Amino acid sequence: MLKELELVDSNQSSSVKWGKVIDQDKCIGCHACSTACKSENEVPLSVNRTYVKQVEVGIFPEVSRHFQVTRCNQCEDAPCVPVCPVTAMFKRPDGIVDFDRDVCIGCKACMTACPYDAIHISPSSNSAEKCNFCAHRIDQGMEPACVVVCPEEAIIVGNLNDPESEVSQIISRQKVDVRKPEKGTNPKVFYKGANEATLSPTAAQYTGMHMWSEQNEGYPVEEVEASFNSIAAARVAYDVPHKPYWDWRVSLYSWTKSIAAGVFLIYVLLGLFGHELESVWTTTTAVIGGFFLALTGLLLISKLSHPERFYRIFTRPQWKSWLVRGAFIIAGYTLVLVLLFAAGLTSNQALAKALWWPGVVLAILTAIYTAFLFAQSKGRDLWQNPVLPVHLFVQSVMTGAASFIILSWFISLPADALQIVNITLIVSVAAHVALILSEMVIPHMTADAEKAAHNMIKGRFRGYFWTGLIAGGLIPLLLGFASIYGITALLALIGVLAYEHAYVQAGQSVPLS
Amino acid sequence: MSTTANKPFQRFGKLSSFPPPDRWDDWEELDSKSWPRQVKKNYRLVPTVCFNCEAACGLLAYIDKETGKIRKLEGHPLHPASRGRNCAKGPATIGQVTNPERVLYPMKRKGPRGSGEWERITWDEALNDLAPRIRKAIQENRKDEVVYHVGRPGEDLFTERVLSAWGVDGHNSHTNVCSSGARTGYMYWMGMDRPAPDYSNARFILMMSAHLESGHYFNPNAQRIMEAKERGAKIAVIDTRLSNTASKADYWMAPWPGTETAMLLAMANHLIQNDLFNFDFVRKWVNWDELLADREYLKSLHDTGFISEMPKGDTFEDFIALMKDMYKAYTPEFAEEETGVKAQMIIDVANEIARAGTAFSSNVWRNASAGHRGGWMIARALFFLNVLMGAVGTPGSMLPNSWVKFVPAPFNEPHQNVKFWNENHFPREFPLANFEMGFLLPHILKHKNKKLDVYFTRVLNPVWTFPDGFSWIEMLQDEEKVGVHAALAPTWNESAQYADYVLPMGLGPERHDLHSYETHAAQWIGFRQPVLRVQKEKDGQRIEFTYEANPGEVWEENEFWIELSWRIDPDGSMGIRQYFESPYRPGEKVTIEEYYRWIFENSVPGLPEAAAKEGLTPMEYMRKYGSFQITDDVYSQHEKPIGEEILKEASVVAPKTEDKGYSEAAATAEEPSTVASSDSEAEPGVWVKTPPPKTNLRPYPGPFKNKNGEVRVGVVVDGKPVQGFPTPSGKLEFFSSTLRDWGWPEYAVPIYPRNKEERAKMPHIITQVHPDHIDWDNQEYILLPTFRLPTLIHSRTNGAKWLYEIAHSNPIWLNPVDARKMGVKTGDLLKISTVSGYFVDKVWVTDGIRTGVIACSHHLGRWRLHEDKGSDRWNSSVVKLEKEGSKWKMKMVHGVQPWKSEDPDSERIWWKDAGVHQNIIHLVQPDPISGMHCWHQKVKAELPGANDQYGDIQVDTEKAHEVYHEWLKLTRPAPKEHGMRRPYWMMRPLKPHPDYYKLDQ
Repeated sequence: MLKELELVDSNQSSSVKWGKVIDQDKCIGCHACSTACKSENEVPLSVNRTYVKQVEVGIFPEVSRHFQVTRCNQCEDAPCVPVCPVTAMFKRPDGIVDFDRDVCIGCKACMTACPYDAIHISPSSNSAEKCNFCAHRIDQGMEPACVVVCPEEAIIVGNLNDPESEVSQIISRQKVDVRKPEKGTNPKVFYKGANEATLSPTAAQYTGMHMWSEQNEGYPVEEVEASFNSIAAARVAYDVPHKPYWDWRVSLYSWTKSIAAGVFLIYVLLGLFGHELESVWTTTTAVIGGFFLALTGLLLISKLSHPERFYRIFTRPQWKSWLVRGAFIIAGYTLVLVLLFAAGLTSNQALAKALWWPGVVLAILTAIYTAFLFAQSKGRDLWQNPVLPVHLFVQSVMTGAASFIILSWFISLPADALQIVNITLIVSVAAHVALILSEMVIPHMTADAEKAAHNMIKGRFRGYFWTGLIAGGLIPLLLGFASIYGITALLALIGVLAYEHAYVQAGQSVPLS
Repeated sequence: MSTTANKPFQRFGKLSSFPPPDRWDDWEELDSKSWPRQVKKNYRLVPTVCFNCEAACGLLAYIDKETGKIRKLEGHPLHPASRGRNCAKGPATIGQVTNPERVLYPMKRKGPRGSGEWERITWDEALNDLAPRIRKAIQENRKDEVVYHVGRPGEDLFTERVLSAWGVDGHNSHTNVCSSGARTGYMYWMGMDRPAPDYSNARFILMMSAHLESGHYFNPNAQRIMEAKERGAKIAVIDTRLSNTASKADYWMAPWPGTETAMLLAMANHLIQNDLFNFDFVRKWVNWDELLADREYLKSLHDTGFISEMPKGDTFEDFIALMKDMYKAYTPEFAEEETGVKAQMIIDVANEIARAGTAFSSNVWRNASAGHRGGWMIARALFFLNVLMGAVGTPGSMLPNSWVKFVPAPFNEPHQNVKFWNENHFPREFPLANFEMGFLLPHILKHKNKKLDVYFTRVLNPVWTFPDGFSWIEMLQDEEKVGVHAALAPTWNESAQYADYVLPMGLGPERHDLHSYETHAAQWIGFRQPVLRVQKEKDGQRIEFTYEANPGEVWEENEFWIELSWRIDPDGSMGIRQYFESPYRPGEKVTIEEYYRWIFENSVPGLPEAAAKEGLTPMEYMRKYGSFQITDDVYSQHEKPIGEEILKEASVVAPKTEDKGYSEAAATAEEPSTVASSDSEAEPGVWVKTPPPKTNLRPYPGPFKNKNGEVRVGVVVDGKPVQGFPTPSGKLEFFSSTLRDWGWPEYAVPIYPRNKEERAKMPHIITQVHPDHIDWDNQEYILLPTFRLPTLIHSRTNGAKWLYEIAHSNPIWLNPVDARKMGVKTGDLLKISTVSGYFVDKVWVTDGIRTGVIACSHHLGRWRLHEDKGSDRWNSSVVKLEKEGSKWKMKMVHGVQPWKSEDPDSERIWWKDAGVHQNIIHLVQPDPISGMHCWHQKVKAELPGANDQYGDIQVDTEKAHEVYHEWLKLTRPAPKEHGMRRPYWMMRPLKPHPDYYKLDQ
């Protein structure tokens, strides 16, 4: 029976590329698409695959309300696909970006990668879900549910490869926009007649509530001034709740990972300076590194909405994802630390030494791969920072040195070795401070990055930020010059954690849709 | 050959919107939740009709054959009005069906009314208690004590027929809180009282409504408005509040609420002074001759200064001269001063109307006409523009609703069987009330010391929706006033909390109804069906009553009425039973199937033929397709010639003043007249002794009879006998002899006072919230409560979780200028008071409203007295009520909270707000002429005191009752010389036998 209906055999024909035009000139803001989608896809309360954002622009009596049907853009270069560690998010030959809720491990990388905030964790499947153009209907030759219901035929679906299709004709002949073309995602959802005030997520002001509903933003949206390019006011009249997806566990895992990598780097550094440390230090380095790496792993798994599926990173890796690459790096580094532990226990210096260079490479990668993962989060402009790998490396050295200083209170370290560690700490703190200052001083490339930086430095996350900078940077630097290293080390560790939290949260603090 | 059955519904990219009908009984579809694994689910698709607003759009229920439950509701592609498309409320219906909060079984109260203690009973118990009470009331001629009070009927004729069969004058409605104002304005023009704009073909659309988001008939109309816009039509919207519709319009005019007549007459004046109107149409179709013939009336216009000189003659030119004289004061500048809308915009819009010609579409249904004293005059002034352009009944214009409505006749019909006049519904103070004074019921019962014996509320929630809800609570709690109250409701509601019986009736996909609405230029019928019953019957199960197939024991009214009627008159001695006996099985009780089957087989033109073409019986056809278009030949019915058959028997009288100036031209241009010469005394018209039997039982004015008792079937225009309009003159009435003769002569023509003095003299058409009456320095504001949200429908969307996720707050809209003045920002609280009480709500600062005016939606603010009963937990607050004498207090205990139920979504509720109930502090303000409740309230807006909290409400019902008496003072009872309660030609639900119109009865 289904066969007969498969009028469009989308999976086997590369000549089909599905796209949509959303005609905002026709859209009346009725929300029919929103409820039809909830019905067709059984979307739970609290999340939405599609909704109608509304913004009011102007001053009485020259006022209007603009609507925007907001959803996944089915990007041709979808950032959610390469970042997914297990190919739960995938692009079909016909261009539809689809997902498999039974595969998803719930790492939220796709959600952080999406510049449109179009993906959510469904409370019923605990997996990442989003609009998939009703692929199950398309494959049966049926229109998506929102297209069927729309009173104004304002949602038009069709084959972008067919010049005769309605979508192609509209795109060719009329003025259409895509959301955030600068992200290079090549959306296949085109907007006709959409207003800048809705297209740009930060153009309109959030005033604490919406016209008919509560505002439930996890972002500090009210602290930021709207940047609508008009003298008229623009107020968000309807939006659905948005929130950052990576919480304190990501800040913390970045910190534990930093320590785990750092101790090995200091261990090798001292070795390079000719300090053949006692094997207790070899063991300690392995134990401390291993402990923090294990914590890192636990944190990583605990933030999955399907923790029981974490192993799939290894069993069905998607190699473009830095989450996968990171997992393998961590695995490799774990192996190094295990061997180092063995070398320490057996006082096998040759083995320990043989581990230096592979260990250094893996430790550095462990410290910095997060920068590449963050860079895969295309929507998060603050994180699109070419110096971030360097900064993470510096932090790792800093936390490693600090850890060694604290460890030296319990396990004796030769004075000249300690001096090297002290100097390394001061140098790395100085570099850390310099990098933070450059983040503050050098203008950001995009308005969103600027807003995120504002939220970090002056806005909601300023407490963490300034703790990180002053307690974790400037004071240690002063203390360091005064040769007070113990407190410096403690402050540096706390400071990196505070700064990291500010950076991770502020990076996610700008509305994306 | 392609029949309807295998028609593919293909649109974009050759994808289909719907499966073809020949697959509906057995449709396999991939399951979205298992995707990308291809899991097939097997469905049967049954069409039905949405019940979430009056538009009655088609729905297609997908019934899962494995679970036997409705999986989802999509649009119905063959529905003539909705064409497969829906608004948010259509798909959201499934949430109401599966709502764990819904009432599934008949319930009877245990404790005192409102105590929240209920016990489950059987339908038999309910029927056996109600039937003898009704029987007794009828036998004791207490025919005003059995009342069916309906909010949304959702059907044509069935229930009115039931009441008519019982012989009670017991129909009460919500119309006077809804559309009476606009209806009255239309009625004095064309007899028929509803507009049916042909938006699709319009060149210019002027809406005093929000049809792109709500209103009669939102989705079908919104589709056609945007179609016209896509084809180049321009749109103007008059609305003080920025609706979504206003937002999409080319022209948005935001007047001082209630002053719209001034602006509309200024547009009319522009068309008149610049000779931009349709001379020929006005000459032929307006009753100007009647006005010119009434010298006494003209003199009164002259005396009041509305005309500066008396017309010299009685020709059409004299009428044009009179109009130019009469309307010259209504300049755009005058209108700007009165309304606050820029003069240039008024001229621009008038010019657009002139350009559109006969393809000018306009509409008002509630909006300003529902807001103000004299709201009906706003509608009258709006329609004046259509009349001037000849944009009445033509393609792209405004059609009278009766032309696009078809109500087929059932197997028998009680005729003039109501031999009673219900003074509670049509009190003598309001002889011209368009509908029952339903919203005054508690005040009337109190004032006149009357009572009800059996009170049915059906899809009606007066405590919450009507103004002054505390007076309703007092009435409903008083067992002396209301003997037994049975709430027929698909969902919980505030009023049902005080009922004796809560009788659960089906939602859209759980009931039978037949209806026809004026959605566009065609006549069609829609057939609502209980889809699970249809599914089970197709599977071979025998179902006696719909509640056997519905969830729980949810029933449908129609079967309930049949059962109840049967038990009222079990032996047929009261003459009631005959109307409930099967046309197929004499003497036996009719089944719901038979009732509709007979109609489809006998009363719907073209249906048996269409069914035969597909090899189906008419009933099978309607079960399969759920709707049928009767005709789209609906334009210009007034010009339709009277049939030869009728003319043979008719006496045809041309009007005396069959226009002198034009008669020569008419005589040469048209066929020779067949009109018999008229004697000077005879009334003009085409008269017959016995009119042809009605095939379309739509509400229709008349009959109009002459001295000889003959009935008018048409009028003579330019020498030709044609159908004309169902008004006393047979034409469009610029001059209403009804208003003249029934006590309101000064308002018989479209008019508006031109200055403050005149406003003081003409209070009946001046809004109660005119800036004259507002003390701006004392923080007084105009509260505008008359609008809908696109996603909700009054009380009825209770339990539709997706809709309340989208909308759950009803803040007070406040212009930024006023916000600065008061020192508040969005989210801050304000206390809004009328003379009887106040509520405390938060503020939404917006430029979408004029300074001096605040707006608040009545769609939110649901409340319940008990945690688990009274209103649905998705969308209501728990409140505490206190009463001291006539002083009521409501305090919010808590807002919306998640809770555990069989629907995991109930634990995912993230919003806390349910809004604030605003209508409960409103004063009753009956329009002295139309009877419409004038919704806009004069309020004081102030910062709350230290003890005031969000959601606080207080009302003194004694004060509210005083306001009722104040408004009564403005009314004028029927002039004694008629000896009649009401003009007989005017429409009335359940029109009593003519004898009971007499005042001495």
